[in-house]
Amino acid sequence: MIVTTMTDPFVQTDPTAMIGIGEYRVGSFRMASIGLGSCIGLTLFSPEQKVGAMVHIMLPESSGRTDRPGKYADTAIPLLLNELSTLGVRKGSIICKIAGGATMFEAFSASMNIGQRNIERVKKILAEQNLRLVSEDVGGKMGRSVYFTPQENGKVLVRLANGSSREI
Amino acid sequence: MSLSDIQKDALQELGNIGAAHAATTLSQMLNSPVEMSVPKVIAVDIAKLSEYIGEDPSAMVAFELQGEIPHGGYVIWYLSRDSAIRITNTMLGMTDTDRPFNEMDESALREVGNIMVSAYLDGTAELLGFVMLPSPPSLVIDMAHAAMQSLIAQMAEEINEVFLFRTDLTCLEHKIDSDIILMPENSSLHKMLNLLEEMMKPPV
Repeated sequence: MIVTTMTDPFVQTDPTAMIGIGEYRVGSFRMASIGLGSCIGLTLFSPEQKVGAMVHIMLPESSGRTDRPGKYADTAIPLLLNELSTLGVRKGSIICKIAGGATMFEAFSASMNIGQRNIERVKKILAEQNLRLVSEDVGGKMGRSVYFTPQENGKVLVRLANGSSREI
Repeated sequence: MSLSDIQKDALQELGNIGAAHAATTLSQMLNSPVEMSVPKVIAVDIAKLSEYIGEDPSAMVAFELQGEIPHGGYVIWYLSRDSAIRITNTMLGMTDTDRPFNEMDESALREVGNIMVSAYLDGTAELLGFVMLPSPPSLVIDMAHAAMQSLIAQMAEEINEVFLFRTDLTCLEHKIDSDIILMPENSSLHKMLNLLEEMMKPPV
């Protein structure tokens, strides 16, 4: 007899690595970034090795800054690729997912549409690196929390403030 | 940037004066006593922001600081979704708390925030002689961390750390719990520190 159990994705048995703004992690454990506004949560996953990487990107361009590579799209993506390759991950096997890039405050003069610029820049770099973007939940006005589970075939769950969630 | 104890005390006093003005106006609008915590000035690494501001559904009324310094930072009136509903119910004479926000609620929150934040900035301007004007209010009802993160991403200066002047304003009668947070750009913070130092110099 096959017994299937319903599991609530937010009741955890394994510890989850919380990834703050500009941070990244690599491994097969559960990872999460809460409250993404204009920021982007990017996950890279190798189905061959069940290992992945996640980064919480805040801005599109590093403009030469090197202190926090995970903070910028242009430095974060090469960094994650490098980390995964040291674990023996074949670049061609990697699949990518992104969430975030919302515009929450349209009114402010300084807003300059950072969310949109983040999305465009991340997509451009993924394309330049010949990485496959398989799924996305980006743009709009809503904040998002993102949960990444490499052990469950790289599942990425996006949750909104109203409590609803969807897999991407 | 690290602050000395004296600088921290001076900034906390500045926050105290601003928040006291804001608390008075909130109390007048609710016609009920409002309690105020001791203001705190904390330096927060952006990677650790979620330890201070969570993902719970909240109402954030945000103002950009304008005036002498064009992009001086932000002031945010931050309250839980439930407190936000209770505040508009109190003002609009309603009792149902289990309902979605409507246009009246949103407009009331913007207006209350506007009055409080204007009072806060009047208080700091009186003390410092340095005028920070609030932009028109912008309201977001969503995850608090996502809203704060969006403001930090659009700050004029590239930073890894933000300074938050945070004071808790509560009204027991109406079960309203809110925070008023000033998040200055480094340019404004330096200006405030210079002016406070001037004030503390012994007279010649």
